[in-house]
Amino acid sequence: MYGFQKIRSCLFYLSLFLFFAGLPFILSFALGYKFNAHSLKFVKTGLIFIKTQPAAAKIYINGKLFSEKSPASIHELLPGTYKVALELANHYPWKAEVEVEAGKTSRVDKVILFPVRPNLQQLNQEKFSSFRIDVEKKIIYYLDQEKKVVYRSNLDANNFEDIASLPDKFAQIDGWEISPDKRKLFIFNQYQINISFFDNQVDYEYPVSPVFLEYRQNKIIDVFWHSDSYHLVVLTDKNVQVVESRQGALPINLVELNRGTPGAFYDVKEDVLYFGDRQRSADGSFYNNLYKLELSANLYLLERLIAQPFGQAKSAQNGEAVE
Amino acid sequence: MERRLNKVLFLKRALEIIPGGLSWSIIIGLIGLSFLHPVSGAMIIISFDFYWIIRTVYLTTLLVMAHHRLSRQRNEDWLARCRDLPANSGFPELYQVIIFPVYNEGLEVLRPSLAALSDIHYPKDKLVVVMAFEERNAHAHDNALILEEEFSGRFGAYLSTFHPDGLPGESRTKGANATWSAKAVRQFLDERKIAYEQVVISCFDADTCVDKEYFGCLSYHFLTSQKRHQASYQPMPVYNNNIWQAPSFARLVEISSSFCQMIESMRLEKFVTFSSHSMSFKTLVEIDYWPTNMISDDSVIYWKGYLHYNGDYRVIPLYVTVSLDVAYSSNIWRTMLVQYKQKRRWAWGVENFPFVVQGFIKNKNIPLFNKLRRSFHLLESHVTWAVWAVILVVIGPLPIFFGGSFFSQTAIAYNLPKITGLLFKFTLFTSLAWIFLSWTILPPRPKGISWFKHVLLILEWIFVPFIILIIGSAPAIDAQTRLMFAKYMEFNPTLKGNKVL
Repeated sequence: MYGFQKIRSCLFYLSLFLFFAGLPFILSFALGYKFNAHSLKFVKTGLIFIKTQPAAAKIYINGKLFSEKSPASIHELLPGTYKVALELANHYPWKAEVEVEAGKTSRVDKVILFPVRPNLQQLNQEKFSSFRIDVEKKIIYYLDQEKKVVYRSNLDANNFEDIASLPDKFAQIDGWEISPDKRKLFIFNQYQINISFFDNQVDYEYPVSPVFLEYRQNKIIDVFWHSDSYHLVVLTDKNVQVVESRQGALPINLVELNRGTPGAFYDVKEDVLYFGDRQRSADGSFYNNLYKLELSANLYLLERLIAQPFGQAKSAQNGEAVE
Repeated sequence: MERRLNKVLFLKRALEIIPGGLSWSIIIGLIGLSFLHPVSGAMIIISFDFYWIIRTVYLTTLLVMAHHRLSRQRNEDWLARCRDLPANSGFPELYQVIIFPVYNEGLEVLRPSLAALSDIHYPKDKLVVVMAFEERNAHAHDNALILEEEFSGRFGAYLSTFHPDGLPGESRTKGANATWSAKAVRQFLDERKIAYEQVVISCFDADTCVDKEYFGCLSYHFLTSQKRHQASYQPMPVYNNNIWQAPSFARLVEISSSFCQMIESMRLEKFVTFSSHSMSFKTLVEIDYWPTNMISDDSVIYWKGYLHYNGDYRVIPLYVTVSLDVAYSSNIWRTMLVQYKQKRRWAWGVENFPFVVQGFIKNKNIPLFNKLRRSFHLLESHVTWAVWAVILVVIGPLPIFFGGSFFSQTAIAYNLPKITGLLFKFTLFTSLAWIFLSWTILPPRPKGISWFKHVLLILEWIFVPFIILIIGSAPAIDAQTRLMFAKYMEFNPTLKGNKVL
């Protein structure tokens, strides 16, 4: 037993020695100090932390190649400016001057090394005039104004297919958009809107197809799909309208505009239209106002519910007459 | 007189506040430093991490050494060695008294303990077995009769004692029951004119199943030790009784507890009795038995001996095992609670600190250096228990999260997680040694238990960081805080394998 105690004592004092001998070095290292063998002094250094995307880039500091590859930290650098170069095969090199301060970490951690020959891929298999990308559904829509055809493919250009034909008589196309239900699209110019259905998409709500909406008095500036994929929000030079996308539908004027609009954005998720309008001040100069118009069907339901006493709303839900 | 009493009370309260106060000061201080001066906080955390790496390696080495001694000595024929002792050694006249204090454990706990005792490699006619029941337990008399019928014929003598409830100056503790039964044993020995010097008494937890060689080993060490009466004899507790049935969480905690005890056995200058232990009956009478109003009677009995013999009292480790039940319950949450309460009861050993320091102040014969060293060891062990997991797991990352933008640019902010990561790699490395050793102390796999359990026994060590969080420091902080605020704990037996009535 006492032999074991002697070994234990030795171990204990060895541990004690290791702790007190090692602690100054560990703390010095943690604080960024470096022992200078020439001056026999501790010198406070800094470090550079390097992280690249992709990883495993070669690291050159002041032209010297380090054995570590990114991500890595280069320790014990005396304060000053260093030329850092990062190299990875088949990627453009990254170079910069990095300032190192005593006791601090200089982070070079947002480096993207771009490939020399990026993976460039042609997606379209037919000519087209413009395209739309549905990121959520991972679909690309291509529109060929000349042939009046709409194509579709996935993001890798597989399944490239012809999905809709546009009417020949629609000469100029100023804009187009796919409906939220992905079954149809509108095209428009200053005087008319056309709604065309994708092939194989039968919709009994639309006995006449395609649908044409004519605008003789106003000039169409922009058109948006309502989230119900049935109504269109139309911005003209004189007003903001909403119109059903059926043949012969009459538009409803929601807002009269002063002097045209400097731009508009439609949030289809919330059914909110943001649009600008020019105003004239007293001194005759012009300025813009930005407006928000909420068009959500749920909003109207909510408004009705708030406006009516609870009992009446409930009876309305049950199909009873509401005074 | 009243003034002196106030002074004593003030000193007691001050000593009760010191461990908890120190632990809380360390925790709050480090948290504050992480916010106010994160560089200093990080330096202290790195120093602690480094200390912990060295400590872990050191303690694991001690564990390997203790394990080596255990595997070498546990299979020795100790009885033969006793018989080989000279005739005047006293072996033929030596009696072994074994007390099992029973709180409310049922027959399914008590029967295996007595069965293991009746199966030992030692002359049974030299055994005096005492089942010490609590009078307040409604099943006590019935159980006593059943056990007497089954086991009384197997030993030299078999006694059942019934400790009355609510005796003046007593708390409801195991020590009070053990003391009551030890006094009954004294009467028994006096009637038979057996000298106390010839009697070794063992106080076992109710679920203790002794190794076959335990009493041979105990007798040999007792008879061959110098100043045999000025020593306690401590076997290695292992929790093998139901280890194959216990859930991973509880099993890991108990294996770790066994290992901690084995490590302690290598540090003789700090070694204190724990759980089941043995000692000279003469000494027990001289130091006035176990304390009757303290929960940690198993360690206090050592300190009573230490104070009585002016510091010339020690604990001799016995490298044979006594097997206990793993504490667990019906589901993981209850098991955690059971384990938490058990560890909190163990951590309540912090009540030893005021007891010991007060004893040191009164005793003028113990050298001052020894007093300071033992007080420091006692305080340091409890404070370390309360703060280590909090520092490693909770406070360690705080400077990174709350150090602010200036701190995040410093070299130490970058190096802190790296050094902490190194600590966990070291811990993992030492865990491999612990996994291997835990495997070697397992009892044979019972029939009906799949071989897959062997694999599980290794895989379950990945839960260690999670267990550290629950069972690491929290019970010790809880116990120390209660002592700080004089919210004294009462003895509650641990639920072991759903067997408590």
